[in-house]
Amino acid sequence: MFKLSEEGLKYVKSELTRYETKQSAIIRSLYRAQDENGGWVNHDVISHLSEVMEIPAAQIEEVATFYTMFNQKPVGKYHIQVCCTLTCGMMGGRELCDAMMKEAGCKEMGDVSADGMFTFSKVECLGSCDTAPMLQINRDPYTENLNMEKGLQLVRDLRARGKGH
Amino acid sequence: MHSSTTNVPMVKIQVNGQEVEVKEGSTIIEAFYQNKIDIAHYCWHPGLSVAGVCRLCMVEIEGNPRLQIACNTTVTPGMRVSNVSEKVKDAVKWGLDFHLINHPLDCPICDQAGECGLQDQYMKYGRNDSKMGEAKVKKHKVVDLGPRVVLDSERCILCSRCVRFCDEVPKTSELGIFNRGDRAEVGTFDGKPLTNKYSTNVVDICPVGALTSRDFRFRQRVWFLKDKETICTGCSTGCNVKAYYNKEGVFRVKPVYNAAVNGHWMCDDGRDIYKFVNRENRLIDAKLVSGGKTEHMQPMELAKRLGATLKGQGASVALVLTGSHSVEEYEAIVSYFKNDVGTTQIYHWINNPDTIDSFDGILIRGDKNPNTKGLIEVLAKNGVSTQWKSLTDSIGTGAVKTVVVAGPENQALFPDMKVKISELSKAAKLVWMTAGKNSELESLTGDVALLPLKTYVEKPGTFVNHAGLRQKTQPVTSIVPGALSLVEAVQLFRGEELVAKPVQEGEKPNEIGKGRVHNEFTLTRGVW
Repeated sequence: MFKLSEEGLKYVKSELTRYETKQSAIIRSLYRAQDENGGWVNHDVISHLSEVMEIPAAQIEEVATFYTMFNQKPVGKYHIQVCCTLTCGMMGGRELCDAMMKEAGCKEMGDVSADGMFTFSKVECLGSCDTAPMLQINRDPYTENLNMEKGLQLVRDLRARGKGH
Repeated sequence: MHSSTTNVPMVKIQVNGQEVEVKEGSTIIEAFYQNKIDIAHYCWHPGLSVAGVCRLCMVEIEGNPRLQIACNTTVTPGMRVSNVSEKVKDAVKWGLDFHLINHPLDCPICDQAGECGLQDQYMKYGRNDSKMGEAKVKKHKVVDLGPRVVLDSERCILCSRCVRFCDEVPKTSELGIFNRGDRAEVGTFDGKPLTNKYSTNVVDICPVGALTSRDFRFRQRVWFLKDKETICTGCSTGCNVKAYYNKEGVFRVKPVYNAAVNGHWMCDDGRDIYKFVNRENRLIDAKLVSGGKTEHMQPMELAKRLGATLKGQGASVALVLTGSHSVEEYEAIVSYFKNDVGTTQIYHWINNPDTIDSFDGILIRGDKNPNTKGLIEVLAKNGVSTQWKSLTDSIGTGAVKTVVVAGPENQALFPDMKVKISELSKAAKLVWMTAGKNSELESLTGDVALLPLKTYVEKPGTFVNHAGLRQKTQPVTSIVPGALSLVEAVQLFRGEELVAKPVQEGEKPNEIGKGRVHNEFTLTRGVW
């Protein structure tokens, strides 16, 4: 069963007092719980949050299933979200995504690579068209101004970094 | 909404050129609803909060360049509103077309057909071929939401009435709308069953065929059923209901709005109580077992013969009554036993003394009788005050030789039925008048008479609910033609003839309570 860390619990409790309605704290709490649960949310996570926040589980599930930022399936250590909307698409975002997936050993969108390191998603515009093509790893700051070479190197670097830890 | 406060100032507005008055702070749709002016809508319901999601209740407000939704716009003095202009009709037509994009159009196999909001609005505003060329999105069908409700997600238009109902009325919040856009579906968290005690109300308020009642679905087409108003006899709340019936019996009951009793809703247990009135569960034959001989006869005949043996027998006869019958019936039978038989050995059989005062805070009361108050009233008026123990004692000593039992009408609500049968059958002679069949009663071998009674849907009567509100009902239909009401039984006991008064079609509506208006969903859904 999933349980928030002590600090996570403190965070969720303080979020609950921040807004006019408790429901407003759902997104921030889900983010926190997703981070603590290895990058995805499941029914265990939602049940626990429902207990902690005293909000019906169905209402938390509504939010978790509405927003694509909440992963409903396990993801790799690095969840790479490649922008494939207009500008990035024209600048080779899709090809970049395919090549990086091949390098990382992922067959399909949303798959976790065999070494548990990578999951790829094509996402809609992240609002950084001037630096196309670009991507976001987990919830880190954007990785921008990519090309094929940089993209493949990024996968190799991440793999090395991930193993190092 | 329908608040009972009377000192709210009124506002005059014009709806489709007609001047109407509504309470200050009302929404435009309430002005339409309260004045019975048609307006298309799905998500708004008078008993729930405003969602504003179906976008069908569009109105044109004079001076406002854009159409507004009537459910979320408050009236202001002198406002001129119209929902009959071409602009509104066009908006509704397109709104409807969007609702139908992914709707499967499976009306021929849909249980909602005939009382469906989509059908109603389509006939009014649509009548067009869909402009949608894409394939329809496939979603979950025949989902078991709970023991009483079945979901077909493809038919759902996401009005969120059911979600709001669970949040606001039973406050159990089991339902939610999961996922987004055309993949959005109603469901419960982690597939947990929808088990709250009021779950079938979501079927009533569902404007389409997405939520259907497991009990009722596929049993009848709604246009083959007639309906009449009566009350629910499942507990002392006395919810106002409509019984849907045909010549085979009663098929379902639905709540009827009454602010003073049940608001818009009723409980799930109340939905089931129609079952005992149907023929397969009824005592049909009158039966007299005496000296090892069994005679079957017409109920009328038996009542006349019983009357002859009861008259003037005095205190050796005891009468047992339950809270199932009407005030008129109690008055008749108590007066007969007091004056003609000459006994005040009249006992009140309380079926659940431990829980009789319980209340779930919404509608369900622990007193599982419709008329306990009425019975106590009649007994008090006739100066009868007895303790159950003295009955069992006098049966034991032989002081009471004949026990006459009237009721219970719905035996399922009397958990101590078996115990009471064995207790009372110790008397030398037992006369049992009841509506339902009962194998223990029918296999009794002593000196026993069984007389079939009518149920609440077959006779007129007044019921006094927990709060002392008197509600008068009229017969809905006839199911066991030979069965008697207690009033008729007493007439026959006295040797009088019955004057036949058949149930007439189109009899004037029942006068139950005050302030009753038709709910939208018990008339035609979506339009009213």
